Amino acid sequence: MNSRRRWQSGITAGLGLGLVLAGTLPARAMEGAGETPSAMVASYKTLADVILGAKKTEANLVRSILTSAHDRAYEELMRARTALKGNDAKGAQAAIENMAAAVGQIGSEGDASVGAVRKRLLEGGHHHNSEGEAKGIYDEGFVIVTKAAKAQFLDAAKVLGQLAKAPKADALEAEWVKVEAAWSALMK
Amino acid sequence: MLTSRGRRHDVAALVVWAVLLAAIAAGPGCASRGGAGPSPATGGGPPSAAPAVKPAATPEPAAGASRFSFVNVAREAGLDRVTLAGRPGKDHLLDSAGSGVAFLDYDRDGRLDVYLPNGWRIDAGRIVERGRHALYRGLPDGSFHDVTAEAGVDGEGCWGTGVVAADYDGDGWTDLFVSCFGKNLLYRNLGNGHFENVAARAGVEAPGWNTAAAFFDADADGDLDLYVAAYIEASVDDVLKATPTLDWKGVEKVAFGPFGLEGAPDHFFRNEGGRFVDATEEAGFADRGLGFGFAVRAGDFDGDGDPDLFVANDSDPNYLYRNEGGGRFREVGVWSGCALDAAGAAQASMGIATGDVFGSGRLDLFVTNFSEDYSTLYRNIGNGAFEDVSEDTGVGPATWKSLSWGTAFADFDADGDLDLVVANGHIYPQIDRHPELVGPYAQAMTLLENRGGHFTDVSKASGPGFAEPAAHRGLAMGDYDNDGDLDLLVLRLDAPPALVRNDTPQGAWLTVVPEGKDGGPPPPGTVVHVKAGDRTFVRDVQAGDSYASSHDPRLSFGLGSAETADEVLVTWPDGTTTRRTAVRARQFFVVKRAA
Repeated sequence: MNSRRRWQSGITAGLGLGLVLAGTLPARAMEGAGETPSAMVASYKTLADVILGAKKTEANLVRSILTSAHDRAYEELMRARTALKGNDAKGAQAAIENMAAAVGQIGSEGDASVGAVRKRLLEGGHHHNSEGEAKGIYDEGFVIVTKAAKAQFLDAAKVLGQLAKAPKADALEAEWVKVEAAWSALMK
Repeated sequence: MLTSRGRRHDVAALVVWAVLLAAIAAGPGCASRGGAGPSPATGGGPPSAAPAVKPAATPEPAAGASRFSFVNVAREAGLDRVTLAGRPGKDHLLDSAGSGVAFLDYDRDGRLDVYLPNGWRIDAGRIVERGRHALYRGLPDGSFHDVTAEAGVDGEGCWGTGVVAADYDGDGWTDLFVSCFGKNLLYRNLGNGHFENVAARAGVEAPGWNTAAAFFDADADGDLDLYVAAYIEASVDDVLKATPTLDWKGVEKVAFGPFGLEGAPDHFFRNEGGRFVDATEEAGFADRGLGFGFAVRAGDFDGDGDPDLFVANDSDPNYLYRNEGGGRFREVGVWSGCALDAAGAAQASMGIATGDVFGSGRLDLFVTNFSEDYSTLYRNIGNGAFEDVSEDTGVGPATWKSLSWGTAFADFDADGDLDLVVANGHIYPQIDRHPELVGPYAQAMTLLENRGGHFTDVSKASGPGFAEPAAHRGLAMGDYDNDGDLDLLVLRLDAPPALVRNDTPQGAWLTVVPEGKDGGPPPPGTVVHVKAGDRTFVRDVQAGDSYASSHDPRLSFGLGSAETADEVLVTWPDGTTTRRTAVRARQFFVVKRAA
């Protein structure tokens, strides 16, 4: 919650500053004829900083969303290990399913709620990686997760989902190694 | 990917086709096919006598040829009501979304009746006509009589988007839930030929752009709960004032959306003694992604004995809600493998078909999609997990070009495997000005024959019923003439529906009718296994399927060359079973529940 609040307040403050500057412009500036008034240019520069900063903020926020999912996957891995050691098949199943869900969320770059936000941004014409999308590297609207990484995480999620029905420690560890490898490559 | 659609016809197929056409032209209309139907008015459900035996199924034809034969007999049968669909240009997505259809037996005479929702006609930003929904009663000669007015089910001016037929109150009579753009309708069957709209009293009006719905017993308490999908947030004003603003391939302006429009949340209503309580959050159905919901299908996808729910979303990941017991569900679509296609992309999903395609005893899923994308066959690999096998099975290439809606798996030739039918039709009439790009707005339906787990497009060799282009939408299958094979009812925009009669030579068939309470309709959630020789076939009864439609609840089995089913095992929704042995084929076999 704290990190989310920080992101929100940063964006709000930046946008607020831009709007204040824009709103306090004099109707006519003192520059010579034919020149854009310098105050307007300055405001536009500030707004540009905000816009470009927002894009960076978006990337950082999505990275945080992914990290949160990864953290959850790891916590569930710990639970699953404990359950497996204690011959708690039901507990292991639940934990591995939760792992599958979390890993799937990494592949989908967030859960359905995040997807709804991404959809809204796309609807507004915002493509974080438009160049990468054109080259086929990213899915529409994706910020961090490449298509290749997406496939790896989604595959891993499906394997974990299946594994949950008949949990085995060695298979679980092997799949986690794959998840970690994909994660490291994504976050480097 | 596209090569399979350009299939050539061999000479033998053309000869067969010519003979069939001649036979159809020379033969009597559907009215003369009477006699196969059951005697009415006994309240005893389906007929016990078998109709005339058709020729046994022939060996599989060569590639491109077909043993199938279908003909549209809607006009002769009296199904003439035109579906109104907004404006000719389809300026808003509501204009082009159409509706589902239902086969039901509302009067318990053993013959299928038909319900068709309707839309509005819009002109110059005004509603100039609110289409009358229609209930047609099936008659013994295979024709239909419009009983809408006397039954009291004309839709009350709502723009109907879907229909589900089920006995929601357990009184033995089939009721109708009509989903609407606006307030939904719940027509309670009073058992005397009349219905009463109790939606407000029952608590299921849920105003909005509702689409498909499904009745199923979500909490195992013995009554039917209700899930209603919703598409986008839109007001009547939005619809009336809409103009085509979306750029289509740089050559046309077409209807805007769904991107750019806000998704509407789906609803889940728990049945509490005939009154429904919104339990969406509590049951785990909160639609956090606000997916553009278009189709719903309940079924036991993980084989654990309770119903799960699959929701097809347009342009968003599909949802698979796994039943966790106690009336609680968990969305597991992504990691179960049926939310996205093989490439991990969300598709523009419209309709759903389910069935045991590969003889595994598990329910596979087929989802229809937009044009220039394939419709997806998800193979159930066990434990509720799926894999996309569209490419390997031939389904993908065969469905790439069409824009697809209603769909069903059915054994149309009773040879013992499930074939696949798909209703097609584009949403942008403007594309007719550029037919070279993706083909026409009006599209013929697709029939894919199952040949050992690989699907072959036999549409062009399956009779005139598969040759008529139209803006097809909802599709229901059912044996309307009680001759043992499965026919099709298909909604068409701005036109009367198609009633596509199956005239295909059949193998041995068996229709199992699990009788509901007090002789009522088969209860949704009932599963029937039929064993014949070394093969076991499975079907389930559901209320809500395809694209916002309801199929015939009687379960049709193709047994191939087996003239006897060794065993018929009915598993009722509460898990109890009824077993029958040595059941002869070619009959409607009623199974009553033990007292």
